Amino acid sequence: MLWLCILLPPLEPAALHNLALWALQWSSQVSDGHDGSDGGAAALWLEIGASRQLFGGADTLRARIAVELAALGYSARLGIAPTPQGAALLARAGHTENATTLTALLTLLQPLPLGCLALAPEQQAALRSTGLGSIGELLALPAAALARRFGPGTSHTLRQLCGQAPEPLRMLRVPPQFSSRCEFSFALTDATALLFPLQRLLAGLQGYLRSLDRAVQRYTLRLEHRQCAATCLEIGLARPTREAALLLTLARERLAALALAAPVQALGLAAREFLQPLVLQMDCFSQSVQHSEQLQTTIDRLVARLGAGAVQTLGLAADHRPERAWTALTAQQHTAVSAAPATTMPARGVPPLRPCWLLPEPRGIEAPQELLAGPERIESGWWDGADIARDYYLARGAAGAHWWVYRDLRSGAWHLHGLWA
Amino acid sequence: MMRPAEQRAAVLAQLDQACRRVRADGRSGARADEYARPAARATGFSELDALLPGGGWPAGAITELMPEAQGIGELSLVLPALAQLCGAGQHVAWIAPPFLPYPPALLRHGIALGQLLWIQTLDARTALWAAEQALRCPAIGAVLAWPAGVDERRLRRLQLAAESSGSCGLLYRPQSCAQQHSPAALRLLLRAGAAGLHIDIHKARGGRTHAVVVHPAAAA
Repeated sequence: MLWLCILLPPLEPAALHNLALWALQWSSQVSDGHDGSDGGAAALWLEIGASRQLFGGADTLRARIAVELAALGYSARLGIAPTPQGAALLARAGHTENATTLTALLTLLQPLPLGCLALAPEQQAALRSTGLGSIGELLALPAAALARRFGPGTSHTLRQLCGQAPEPLRMLRVPPQFSSRCEFSFALTDATALLFPLQRLLAGLQGYLRSLDRAVQRYTLRLEHRQCAATCLEIGLARPTREAALLLTLARERLAALALAAPVQALGLAAREFLQPLVLQMDCFSQSVQHSEQLQTTIDRLVARLGAGAVQTLGLAADHRPERAWTALTAQQHTAVSAAPATTMPARGVPPLRPCWLLPEPRGIEAPQELLAGPERIESGWWDGADIARDYYLARGAAGAHWWVYRDLRSGAWHLHGLWA
Repeated sequence: MMRPAEQRAAVLAQLDQACRRVRADGRSGARADEYARPAARATGFSELDALLPGGGWPAGAITELMPEAQGIGELSLVLPALAQLCGAGQHVAWIAPPFLPYPPALLRHGIALGQLLWIQTLDARTALWAAEQALRCPAIGAVLAWPAGVDERRLRRLQLAAESSGSCGLLYRPQSCAQQHSPAALRLLLRAGAAGLHIDIHKARGGRTHAVVVHPAAAA
């Protein structure tokens, strides 16, 4: 067993829990709690004996964890030792050296002052009154004398420190669904101020997903207010991912477009459905793979800011009525489904000539001065009540523009329906 | 599907060709960025290509198209290039177009509809933002936009976005903008003529200006 201890300034239980989820990516055995010392520091223990080789050794793993913690804005101290107590003690003492064996741990402990021990204040006072200087001197005393003089608690702690007594830790059970939350000491009025706490929550999600080797395609942000109901934002992606940076980018677009209903008291993050991540071969020559990745990312960003219906692809529909001869599909649906080409030429013959622009609604106009081509009669739709009977013409409009106009065969009124742009 | 060995051979051949081109350009003193990406995409109209520096729509840059009126063939002018891009697997983004790009007509112009992205925005500001995002994406070969109320600084942002990805930014603007200073690589004034579309090259970076060509109108 080899333990890495992360000591943090006092934290909310929810924040510590989120960090514990984050830490799952390094080890399947994570425990969160307090280091037992006077200051009430929050502590995480990770069993890295099994996983350190995966991450390039204890030194590399330690450096990597330190960098990521700093990126999340935590000032943490780390220690590595064969016992949880030992790792916490080395972290508290600010030791940069790792103790990978018990012997190494004892050597490192010898010169440390007694104040480094995680003991209650009265036990600390009792130790100080003896005139002992260092942990080494304390450990040199016979065990029986120690127990008699300072009580069984201190003696037991020392035995755990040196690996002579077991130290059971309460291990984090990996929850089947991800849920994390963070409360603010003062209400946030600006949606962009949520990004920093969100970054931490997403780091938790990323660690959790990495540990399970899963990815998410949607997640929920819950903005809690004091007076009114919480604002829930569903954030969807075109493809499953577990990259916190990408998830954050999408959330940023959504938050930028959001007008807060009320100040935000707490922020929650939840993800329930997990998928297999799409593992892509990172082949630098397969440009198309990279392109499709980049396209997904761009579409996701646009959708996050503009809404799911704002980014669409176009297709044909089998209907003679011009306003119904086309369809739109949201791009996220499209790219998620698109194995088959979205649209091909209609099976029968050459499609009729049509203008590049169609007006969203036909616009009533005066009878055109000059008709250049036509008519093309379109009568259709008697079956659904939206039937039309029109004669379409190519007409000359202002400044030499070419208009697609029709005369309604029933009312005789003229309409502009398209532009030959 | 190519087999890995074939794929590797094809890539090596491409690299070899690229190296040769670099060496040749080095001797002739060409600038380093000139072979980094295609400088232009053919418009599909040889009369026009002949007059444009690079022989087509500038890639990695902004082109401004300023038609006198809507419906004179201003869209048909770019459709051959768009069809070509789509055929090469690139995407084309339409940012908040004034009307519906009508799928039956686009298909007739040879455009693969599945490659189009039709992006609708609520206001001009988000449209500009969306245009910039689309221009930054290397998978999107061309971005069509109808910016309103843009100043030179905003245009420059779009120009930089296009430079970063090598995409063609095609901006439709009213002719009243012609007097405004612009960082666009190419600016065209368009009007309908008896024989087709009159194109007045208002500005062409690294090329001639004030040339006029005629292109058969698409409406015929």
